[in-house]
Amino acid sequence: MRAKMAIKAEEVTVQFRPFVERKPTLRKTVANFRSRERETVTAVDHVSFEVRKGEAFGIVGRNGAGKSTLMRVVAGTLRPDRGRVVTYGRTSTLLQLGVGFNTELSGIRNIYLGGLAAGLRRARIDEIFNDIVEYAELEEAIDRPIKTYSSGMISRLAFSIGMHLDPEILLLDEILSVGDEAFRTKSEQAMQDLLDRSGTIVFVSHNLSKVADFCDRAIWLERGAVMDNGRAEDVVEHYRAAVAAGR
Amino acid sequence: MAVSPPTGIFYNARRLRTYFTDLWNRREFAWFLAMGNLKARNASTALGLFWWVLNPLLLGLVYYLVFGFLFTGGDRDDDYIAYLLSGMFVFHFTSQSMTGGANAILQNAKLLANLKFPRLVLLISSLIESGVGFLASLLVFYAITWPVLGVHPSRYILLLVAVFPIHILFNLGLSAIVARLAVPFRDINNFIPYVNRLWLYLSPVIWPLTLLDDADPIFGTLVELNPMFHLIELYRTALIGRPGYPFNVEDLLVSLAWTGAVFVFGVAGFIRYETRMVRYL
Repeated sequence: MRAKMAIKAEEVTVQFRPFVERKPTLRKTVANFRSRERETVTAVDHVSFEVRKGEAFGIVGRNGAGKSTLMRVVAGTLRPDRGRVVTYGRTSTLLQLGVGFNTELSGIRNIYLGGLAAGLRRARIDEIFNDIVEYAELEEAIDRPIKTYSSGMISRLAFSIGMHLDPEILLLDEILSVGDEAFRTKSEQAMQDLLDRSGTIVFVSHNLSKVADFCDRAIWLERGAVMDNGRAEDVVEHYRAAVAAGR
Repeated sequence: MAVSPPTGIFYNARRLRTYFTDLWNRREFAWFLAMGNLKARNASTALGLFWWVLNPLLLGLVYYLVFGFLFTGGDRDDDYIAYLLSGMFVFHFTSQSMTGGANAILQNAKLLANLKFPRLVLLISSLIESGVGFLASLLVFYAITWPVLGVHPSRYILLLVAVFPIHILFNLGLSAIVARLAVPFRDINNFIPYVNRLWLYLSPVIWPLTLLDDADPIFGTLVELNPMFHLIELYRTALIGRPGYPFNVEDLLVSLAWTGAVFVFGVAGFIRYETRMVRYL
């Protein structure tokens, strides 16, 4: 019998209107409204995929291919223009390296901020607080503002918070490309444990060997559209061939 | 199961209930953010929270000097300081709320981009912040007017139990309207101070009520329609509680009507818009 569904994306399309919507001003809006000029960029173009429980799913593609935008749709922070994403389970997001919620605040406050925003009770965060700090190996630095942290420290903290939210679906966007060898080993172990508990991981990375190794299946995005969808090794191989051919 | 909302959403009752349940579950989050900001403010400026009180107080002082001494047209009661400060503090709470919500969203852009939660919680946290400042300013109000004019809390102060929540909901609706506009159109922030100033002059803060007796009828109508007129009147009854500041049921009804309209319009518009908000950050 097939494993249960974790994420189902159907025909997801996201369009941006640069110059109009990114940081629009009244004047530009009025000007554009009059001329009816509505230049759109399609960041994600009719993307469909399914991820099952216990699966690691990779997303590969060049910079600007729409990977991060797609992740935001899956995380539910960005509403697609068309299509939809259904997720089955508690989702925890570690999008974009250096998340750090608010860099002016201390590590302590960021842990609470992230946990509370994710819907945890304060008492629950009190309970897991020490584990988060210990796991991130930040006992020394946790009361400093995180703008003083190195990128490795920030990704350790972000990963630790994300894992301790006890997710069923973990969305990782380039979060593990930084961090020393020891932490990488530790985090991979944690991710493997999550998969063994029939959790689900969606993984955006430029580290192709890691995707081929770690993920069961993957998609390759190019200008927002799906170029390939299948076994991770095959998808990575096709993508590599395309990059090598300079296409 | 979480379903990303389809385009062109109509918020049915069930979805709205889910939204407000989520919001209620984030109450500790709202409180944590508000208290954190208050503490940060106390840490970064020597006077901290007192600036919240000092700003309207100093502004009140300026108007007192200008209109209390320089232009002494019209009848001014002996109570003028109490009249001026009560109006000033009440008005300040609303004008702070107007921009506070949009600012809270812009300040927490990273959080919004990464985590899904009801965005209204940010407006509420900013409202808690300015609400604490407002309550502190009421203490300052008595600290000044009690020794000088003998103004002290009377039984009318119980009116605050109704007026304060109405005021809060009104401010929440207003901050939702401003956030809805100011997040995609940052230019709006430049207009706000002027809107605020105009609104202040249309509210009975600086000028005495006797001014209305022989004022231009258009001005009189604008003032009557102004929700702040009625709110401020209610606060004056509650805070000063002397003859000359009688309780007027009409003020309560008009305030309630305005609050209902602004709250529903503002919050509904905001909730519909919030899933698109990340695009503008």
